Amino acid sequence: MKKFIYTVLVNLLFVVIGLAQQGNALPQVTRAYAFTNINIVQGPGRKMDNATMIIRDGLIAALGRDIAIPSDAIIIKADSMYAYAGFIDGLCKAGVRQRYTESTEKLLDPASPPPAMAGITPQREARTMLNQDDKEIEELRNLGFTTVQLVPSGNFLPGHAAIILTSDKTTHEMVLISRSAMYSDLVGTRGVYPSTVLGIMAKWRELYQQALLAKSYDQMYVSNPAGLPRPVADPLLEAFYPVIDQHEPVLFKSQRLMDIHRVLSLKSDLGFSLIIADVKEGWPVIAKVKTSGTKVFLSLDLPEEKKIDGSKEKPETFEGIEKDELEKRKAESTRRCTAQASDFQKAGIPFGFCTYSAKVKDIPANLRRMIAAGLSEDEALAALTTTPAKILGLSDRMGTVDVGKIANLVISDKSYFQGKAKVQYVVVDGKVYPVETREAVKIEGGWTIVIQTSRGKVSDRINLRKEGNGYAGTYFSEMLQAPIDLSDVSLKGNQLSFKYKMGNTPDSPQMTVEAVVAGKTFKGVINGARYKNIVIEGILDAKN
Amino acid sequence: MKLHVRTICIFTWLLSASFLTLGQAERGSMLIKNGTVLTITKGTWENTDVLIKDGKIVQISKNIAPPSGIKVIDATGLHVMPGIVDTHSHIALDAVNESTSVVTAEVSMSDALNPTAIAIYRALSGGVTSIQVLHGSANVIGGQSEIIKLRYGTFDPKDLKMEGAPRTIKVALGENPTRMHGTNAGILPRTRMGVEFVIRKSFAEAQEYSQRWDAYNKNKLVKNFRGAPPAYSLRYETLAQIVRGNVIIQCHAYRADEISMMLKVCKDFGIKRVVFQHANEGFKVAPEMAAQGAMASVFSDRWGYKFEVYYSTAYNAAILTRNGVVTSMSSDDPELIRHLYHEAAKTLKYGGLTNDEALALITINPARQLGIDSRVGSLELGKDADVAIFKGYPLSIYAIPVMTVVDGIVRFDRDNDVNDMRLLVDPDPINEAPIVHHHNVYEDCLAGTELLFGFEN
Repeated sequence: MKKFIYTVLVNLLFVVIGLAQQGNALPQVTRAYAFTNINIVQGPGRKMDNATMIIRDGLIAALGRDIAIPSDAIIIKADSMYAYAGFIDGLCKAGVRQRYTESTEKLLDPASPPPAMAGITPQREARTMLNQDDKEIEELRNLGFTTVQLVPSGNFLPGHAAIILTSDKTTHEMVLISRSAMYSDLVGTRGVYPSTVLGIMAKWRELYQQALLAKSYDQMYVSNPAGLPRPVADPLLEAFYPVIDQHEPVLFKSQRLMDIHRVLSLKSDLGFSLIIADVKEGWPVIAKVKTSGTKVFLSLDLPEEKKIDGSKEKPETFEGIEKDELEKRKAESTRRCTAQASDFQKAGIPFGFCTYSAKVKDIPANLRRMIAAGLSEDEALAALTTTPAKILGLSDRMGTVDVGKIANLVISDKSYFQGKAKVQYVVVDGKVYPVETREAVKIEGGWTIVIQTSRGKVSDRINLRKEGNGYAGTYFSEMLQAPIDLSDVSLKGNQLSFKYKMGNTPDSPQMTVEAVVAGKTFKGVINGARYKNIVIEGILDAKN
Repeated sequence: MKLHVRTICIFTWLLSASFLTLGQAERGSMLIKNGTVLTITKGTWENTDVLIKDGKIVQISKNIAPPSGIKVIDATGLHVMPGIVDTHSHIALDAVNESTSVVTAEVSMSDALNPTAIAIYRALSGGVTSIQVLHGSANVIGGQSEIIKLRYGTFDPKDLKMEGAPRTIKVALGENPTRMHGTNAGILPRTRMGVEFVIRKSFAEAQEYSQRWDAYNKNKLVKNFRGAPPAYSLRYETLAQIVRGNVIIQCHAYRADEISMMLKVCKDFGIKRVVFQHANEGFKVAPEMAAQGAMASVFSDRWGYKFEVYYSTAYNAAILTRNGVVTSMSSDDPELIRHLYHEAAKTLKYGGLTNDEALALITINPARQLGIDSRVGSLELGKDADVAIFKGYPLSIYAIPVMTVVDGIVRFDRDNDVNDMRLLVDPDPINEAPIVHHHNVYEDCLAGTELLFGFEN
């Protein structure tokens, strides 16, 4: 009897291996999605109503009214929903693992600390500090941000920024561009040189000049080393080389007016190409920003709006009058901050937005405040999609909803900029993340599953049940004597996943199922061993 | 109704100010009619007019017919004098001390300028038009200073800079640098000997640095030259310029012995231009200073706040002046800067300086010390139209500054002095409570060094 079971299991395994081998030869069965009856805002001012959108292999595969839905596609009914290109964040610190910690070590002479202690590590890379499980990334994704320019932790010259897709894949898969810019700010380290803006500005100039000299000597040596002392490699200065060549911009966090002036003076003195980011007080310097050709990411943070009570009686005391006047000036200042985006728009300066110092929960409301202050919805959309794509040199891959672009999308139940709009799905790199599901997803009960192998459909059963805070399950097959336990059963939103072992020996291959639950059905893929993206569908028993 | 007018004033002010952001600092034209004109260098003239065109003084005489369309200011019964020049200030800065190193010649105050500082407007309300903003006195060789004009209303730090003004740098002797680095950090210099050593070592190394680069640059002219450049240091680049005499030293010093020491150091390195800041014991070495052409920028009667400033006298400015030292009166303080005319007036009582000598302490003499006397410091044809107009004689205790003009633009007008003259208002101030003076927190020369003293506010 045991022998019989063993034979069955081995046979089953061979079937699977055979399928996988055949899969290579046949058109690959892949993950595809079809959003039906959706209003697509392809770009600012470009709309396609009641259309179908097909996503395949991480790309937007087809768009239009009369599109055939591929048989392997998971259909998502998106009636009356709005799809936009995924938003792009120009300066982001979400998910950066190594938080900056101040050293408590007391130096003998604070004038010459090790470069890392002084924040001088331009050779580091943000991508190496990315923690893909970080909740902050998920929060941004749920708002619709699918691409972020991630910067390393720390101040002054902490390292290189990276362009990251906000999926929950592995760190390597999330990275789109590993070195997008050299990141810097004007904040020194307390107690060591350079500690103030005075030292920071001087050190920036000195490092740049040293890098220029080192680079030019490197070139002389490479062209003909004979008789020349060997240049000693200095990764710190080498990090400046692409900036000197203008292959890479400097990304400067410049929130306040004086930061912007200082950074612009560095640009005009040294001649690098510049992106200023997290700009909060930029309106007095608009003309200078424009003539300098600097690229801009405005902050999505806004000062809190205070309502001034007009019905209140006029104060009579000197203190009361003065307090009233101060409140009026603060309100006026808040108005200027809110109108900043509109001012940049009117001045004809292309700009994107960034989340760096914004509270995530305030971002949609802040966008609406900027729109109320004079920015049009199309202009806001451009600042979230097409313009940042252009600034970052990614227009060929993202920024609009067009066939061939990376499937980065945000899908909301109403027009995104309306007060009551709720994001329903965010698609990152072709992977669909449901954000708001209309009804609670229920998966407990018996399921009939259908696996589409090349030899036809195989039908089995699974049973899912609540266990503690999570789920557990069992796999039944006519070919199995005893049922197999499922492991790692998880439900996130309407994303179901579980694992099981094809056999009961230690080296039995492990299979992973990832599926999207829609009502009383699910559709997804099986992966594991040499099994690649085999389609699996499930139907919940009627009695449930 | 009055409130309403005020609000309009603020907005017209901000509106006019916003045009400045578009480019070069603004220059204006005007005719100041019928005032008592104190030229400082060319006598005092009653019932006289001053004609200003595009920021320059073009005519000083009686009964000038106003050119069409020009702004006319009636100065009948008022005193018209050159804008006051202050050689020692730390206002309009976002940082004062880079106190983490004994020598910081590479840093420049121009990088920390903040034109929105309200202190600029307050200084204007005391008739001040040009100031030297200095690095603090935490370091033996501090940062490069910036000579600025008080063009309040601009948002661009570049607009504050006085174009073409000489380079100057802060050097500090005595208790501040020895306490900061010696007593606190336990490094050189702990004593006045150490301070001298740091200066001499820096200057000597700067000479060697210059020689290395001069040799390299000379070799580079040879065709097909191949070789590595010497190490580049912004610090030694600046120090080399000091030793070459291209940067005026502004040396914080109180005691006669350290003034003598610095005179000797300058002589040894062939440095001709040095101005001693504070110089409370300058009166003891006035002839020696005069012989070497060294100058002094002093207080009227401020002393006793630390050990090295006990041996002081209110006669200091007069003694220095009578000994031929070019002497000025400076503030080192955002409050004192508003009444430098009072400070100068004290020399009439203590030392018997003449009115013109006393006024020179805050006008042409500080301009000489900064190397800007061809531009400001007196009312003369061709000079910058920086003018302070007083009700009452400026050296009288009853004097009231009523209008201050920079480059022909009215930057302070007592008749239009609204309560809130800030250019930028923080909409979310973290703390709106008034700043309470804490005796342990330095506001001037040692600003930003609290950390090194081991206490914080």
